[in-house]
Amino acid sequence: MAPTAPLVSIRDLRVAFRGLPALLGIDLDVAPGESLGLVGESGCGKSVTWLAALGLLPGSASVSGSVTLGGEELLGAPPAVLDRVRGGRVALIFQDPASSLNPVHRVGRQVAEAVRLHRGMEGAAVRAEALRLLDQVGIPDAARRLDAYPHELSGGQNQRVMIAMALAGRPELLVADEPTTALDVTIQAGILELLRRLQAETGMALVLISHDLGVVAETCERVCVMYAGRIVEAAPSDALFERPLHPYAAGLLAALPGMVGARRRLNAIPGGVPEPGRLPPGCAFAPRCGLALPACDAAVPELRALGPARLAACIRAEAAMCEAVAA
Amino acid sequence: MILEVEGVVRAYRQRRGLFGGGVDVRAVDGVSLAVPEGRTLGVVGESGCGKSTTGRVALGLEAPDAGVVRFEGAAMPGVGTAAWRRLRARMQLVPQDPLGALDRRLTIADQVAEPLAIHGLPGGEALVMGLLDQVGLRPDLGRRHPHALSGGQRQRAVLARALATEPRLLVLDEPVSALDVSIQAGIVNLLQDIQAQRGLAMVFISHDLKVVRQVSHEVAVMYLGRVVEQGDPDAVFAEPAHPYAEALVSAIPVPGPRRPARIVLQGDPPNPADRPPGCAFHPRCHRVAPLCRVADPVLKARADGRLVACHVAHGEAHG
Repeated sequence: MAPTAPLVSIRDLRVAFRGLPALLGIDLDVAPGESLGLVGESGCGKSVTWLAALGLLPGSASVSGSVTLGGEELLGAPPAVLDRVRGGRVALIFQDPASSLNPVHRVGRQVAEAVRLHRGMEGAAVRAEALRLLDQVGIPDAARRLDAYPHELSGGQNQRVMIAMALAGRPELLVADEPTTALDVTIQAGILELLRRLQAETGMALVLISHDLGVVAETCERVCVMYAGRIVEAAPSDALFERPLHPYAAGLLAALPGMVGARRRLNAIPGGVPEPGRLPPGCAFAPRCGLALPACDAAVPELRALGPARLAACIRAEAAMCEAVAA
Repeated sequence: MILEVEGVVRAYRQRRGLFGGGVDVRAVDGVSLAVPEGRTLGVVGESGCGKSTTGRVALGLEAPDAGVVRFEGAAMPGVGTAAWRRLRARMQLVPQDPLGALDRRLTIADQVAEPLAIHGLPGGEALVMGLLDQVGLRPDLGRRHPHALSGGQRQRAVLARALATEPRLLVLDEPVSALDVSIQAGIVNLLQDIQAQRGLAMVFISHDLKVVRQVSHEVAVMYLGRVVEQGDPDAVFAEPAHPYAEALVSAIPVPGPRRPARIVLQGDPPNPADRPPGCAFHPRCHRVAPLCRVADPVLKARADGRLVACHVAHGEAHG
């Protein structure tokens, strides 16, 4: 793949809430048109990364570092710039579509509002475009659904409406934060298929934030695994799930029960995620890690290159690799 | 058998409009299940399929409108009677949200001791500490309040409390769904250990097929208030016979190499107040045959013993 200028470039992004660190320095590039998954457990900072990048955190959060979109700095940018970016070049969808939609307005009106705001259309063209968008996201009988209220639609259909609103601004990047977590698995399958199809049709980049390794594996080309406010591993999806390098990523995969083959006792990761402000010295995962050495407590490991397009922040990654081969 | 559920129906009255009459919505519509000692029955299905209501009826927390529930061979006494209250010690519910299930004002140790006091059973600190130890909680955590524990620790505390009265049956309703993956694995292992030690019967209700396969000796797949397929979990999930079970299995995202093409169900999840005629799944079914639109399939055994409710799977129709 020829190196292309990244669409979004995040450098040393740090966030703290009332002095408690939530993000401890994120470096991340999103290439135009790529699909990138961010996985990790509650509180690892996967959502905070994108809320901070788009200036959506409350004033009590202190944010530092740099986030550029096509070369333009977003951190500390004036509200007018951010308003143009959000919903325009970068769109966001969240877990619970019902609470993102206004319950007292018809969905057609809400999609139309996004079209008017971000495309400057007026009159009949707005309704026609709203109809086209609802059609594009696979809402059956879209013309009739324009006049429905959110409570008249199912959770899956409401999420499709949210996606239609996100598409209204013809975004270059769609950030989807746990978009299917509140949905049943058969409905989730339809939404993930839709996201893949839209990405192919529009050429937009997709950042999918999820706690579900399976969801990310089948939707994204590249995955970043986060732990306690840092990226600990970045790799192409297939490579990561075939052979994780960071012991935390390996532990997550081993903790998942399988759908085929003999059942084995699950490999639970001992202990729990450290609380913000009570991070251990050195590697934050070391206290739970089976491969940890005294050296792991000495310094925070750098995210380093360990193969084609593969990065891991672990001084024991080579040992983890050997163990994976032996297993 | 520890638990037997036979032909259970549980209907709720739903009002139509302000002055409209009511309509009976059958959340559970003729479900039969049995769980022997030391075994786990997994119940899977999506929102509104009736799996949680089935669990509540099995525990006698709700009386069935038809059918029988038997616990250790005897019919379940009426809800609220003294006999029913005595039975409560022998069967326990473990809900999804441990914080909601715990009292925020009491310490963990007090809450674990509470069911013993309620049922007039001998308690004491040693017993409580033993229970905490069994679920993997350090003794000092017993002095804390629920909010000072992590999600996984809280679920362990709920388990310790459920085990205090030495129940014979646990009904676990999405017990690990709210937990992170690495914590989930520890609770799943713990449940299996507890079952091995105590020979408990368990009903494990979940939408997560992977976890259900891990813990269950038998699995029932529910759709719109009925069991549509039931059998050995390895066999059912490897080769589902009912088209709904097939779609459910194919929808599971699994990390690793891509699997064969996915069946994406058409249409919306069904509404129990508006049950389609014939097979309730036919409007979304990828194998639908003309017979399915008119005739309601019954749950019956195939040659290999697996129970399936589908005309096509039984060769009575061709989709």
